[in-house]
Amino acid sequence: MAQQRSFNPYTENGGTILAIAGADFAVVAGDTRQTEGYSIQTRYAPKVFRLTDKAVLAVNGFAADGNMFVKKVKQRLEWYKHAHSKDMPLQSIARLIQTMLYAKRFFPYYVYNILGGIDEQGKGAVYSFDPVGSYERETCRAAGAAQSLVQPFLDNQIYFKNQTGEHPTHLPLPHVLQLVTDSFTGATERHIEVGDGLEMFVILARGRGSQELEGVAGIREVTTSDERERVFVINRDLKRD
Amino acid sequence: MDHFPTNWGRPRSEAVDLYNTYPLHNRPGPKADAFTEGVQRTQAPIVTGTSVLAFRFKDGIIMAADNLASYGSLARFKDVQRLIPVGAYTVIGGGGDMSDLQHINHLLEGLIIEELCEEDGHALGPAEIYEYLSQVLYARRSKMDPLWNSLLVGGFKDGKSFLGYVDLLGTTYTASTLATGYGSMIAQPLLRKYVEGREETLTEDEGKKIIEECMKVLFYRDARSINKYQIATITEKGISISESLSAHTEWSFAEKIRGYGAQTQ
Amino acid sequence: MELNGGSVVAMVGKNCVAIASDLRLGNQALTVATNFEKVFPVTDRIYLGLPGLATDVATLRERFRYRVNMYTIKEEREIEPETFAHLVSSTLYEKRFGPYFIEPVVAGLTSPERGSKPFIAATDLIGCLNFAKDFVVCGTASSKLFGVAEGLWEPDLEPDELFETISQTLLNAVDRDAFSGWGAIVHVITPEKVVTRTLKGRMD
Repeated sequence: MAQQRSFNPYTENGGTILAIAGADFAVVAGDTRQTEGYSIQTRYAPKVFRLTDKAVLAVNGFAADGNMFVKKVKQRLEWYKHAHSKDMPLQSIARLIQTMLYAKRFFPYYVYNILGGIDEQGKGAVYSFDPVGSYERETCRAAGAAQSLVQPFLDNQIYFKNQTGEHPTHLPLPHVLQLVTDSFTGATERHIEVGDGLEMFVILARGRGSQELEGVAGIREVTTSDERERVFVINRDLKRD
Repeated sequence: MDHFPTNWGRPRSEAVDLYNTYPLHNRPGPKADAFTEGVQRTQAPIVTGTSVLAFRFKDGIIMAADNLASYGSLARFKDVQRLIPVGAYTVIGGGGDMSDLQHINHLLEGLIIEELCEEDGHALGPAEIYEYLSQVLYARRSKMDPLWNSLLVGGFKDGKSFLGYVDLLGTTYTASTLATGYGSMIAQPLLRKYVEGREETLTEDEGKKIIEECMKVLFYRDARSINKYQIATITEKGISISESLSAHTEWSFAEKIRGYGAQTQ
Repeated sequence: MELNGGSVVAMVGKNCVAIASDLRLGNQALTVATNFEKVFPVTDRIYLGLPGLATDVATLRERFRYRVNMYTIKEEREIEPETFAHLVSSTLYEKRFGPYFIEPVVAGLTSPERGSKPFIAATDLIGCLNFAKDFVVCGTASSKLFGVAEGLWEPDLEPDELFETISQTLLNAVDRDAFSGWGAIVHVITPEKVVTRTLKGRMD
């Protein structure tokens, strides 16, 4: 039988995502550029989504699968909320994502997921997944087109790898935001699929003050109450070339 | 050691497939009927439309597409309208396989009629049509039987413009300027230069001039295009699709070049 | 290019340059040597890094030694870094349709008469030159090196600071690459001297 040109159900839409867990906060960020080959499809296509007041999911890889996956996760969380009168805890959302991804083991969602938020103990948490559901809790993770550029930089600056001397176990929020911004500006310089804009979600644990976020450029809050966890979004520009 | 009972006693090739894992899904089983065995999935588009362009302007959305449906390199059908009004608020611009576009039109007509029959005071706007189409197209690609199209969905409802792209893979995105096919390579840079930043001030006439400029360039450079196109504008006043227009093009340079134009040598 | 593994990075500082490489030699996944140097002195002030296929590392080292010696004999002076970079480029392009599987990195200082200015360059395997002003990276960990270098490098670093920066860049990048690592060596070239240091890093 001669070789036929067959339909490829996947494509790569570029972009990069990153999440860092602090002592009582988490930051989940992604650039906003969507590409196909050498073309920019749009300069603003969000890749980071708020699931609950405690959980934010970033998806990267094939955008159609990514958007559909987020939609399905949100639907499952809505069912849970109606059945249990509460939001799903973060570790359970992580396990749910694993089962949802593995269910399509033989025709996978071509998506690299990173879930960030606040765990049941009030501490910052990051969970990262592969396209078929293998997952692990970590302090920081980068995924996407510029993963190989960003992850080693984060190893050095967050885990203090290859550095001797005293270092803190957890970093302060303004410093973490600076690291995220620097990671993306660096990735934008050296990777063509990264650029245009940066969207950072900051999730604060219950009772944690938001003074450090006062006066941050381009910030807006997406939660409504002061009593519980709070989620903020910060938008920045990145180079458009 | 073969752990799968269903493989015991069956023919196996230890050299290449020690555990009889391949081909997993093609294990000989009870045969389906001869007809379904012959069913093929769309692997390649046959009768195709080329680029569609659209962008946001002061009063709404402007969209354009030429009137050609090609059969490979043959310019087969030269008066095809590829801009399709849907309901009162939306226009779809379709590139790619024309039979799949006609099927989409059929689905959308059914959708509009169902909504009309509800008589609940609600009508489908561009955002709903866009969501519906992206679900349909993604579902078809997930069955490995795609509707081989790249569509632009544009409209104006409740004081707001809408413009989105959806394609055969279910990929979606929105921006203030969009183009499909060759348009995304040739026209998109022009659209981004002339429109970006001026969406709230561009008038309809300025928009039409930009469209004409882009359609002219596309006719020069896209070998599967013709110089006959329509422009659709969707504003609060509703949908308006123009009759066929032509861009002015200059071909007299060919006279001076050997081998082109009317020269014999 | 992924048969033997290995990576090289070079950076520009204030009146100095630094060039660093890992020490691994592998046969695909198997590590065969942990003392395989890939950076060689060409003259007192020019160093050449050769990441890629190990057999070509040895061959090119000898070819350049020959060509630079001939240059020195004929011109009766030491070769300048920029000239040497062009020499590297033409040597590789000679083999355009059957190339050496190496992506060389050149780092050096111009002669005192020309001001001892820092110079770095890199080429692809068929000789396309890249005259960067900040840093150049090559080898199996190149994308990781790009990321860390872009984050850590800044202009006008003094020799000691440049040493720290290039060391951290190399170490953290090769720790994310399975084919590079198993030791690292750094040369910092200043107008007065060249300081060579071996780094303590992960040996896996």
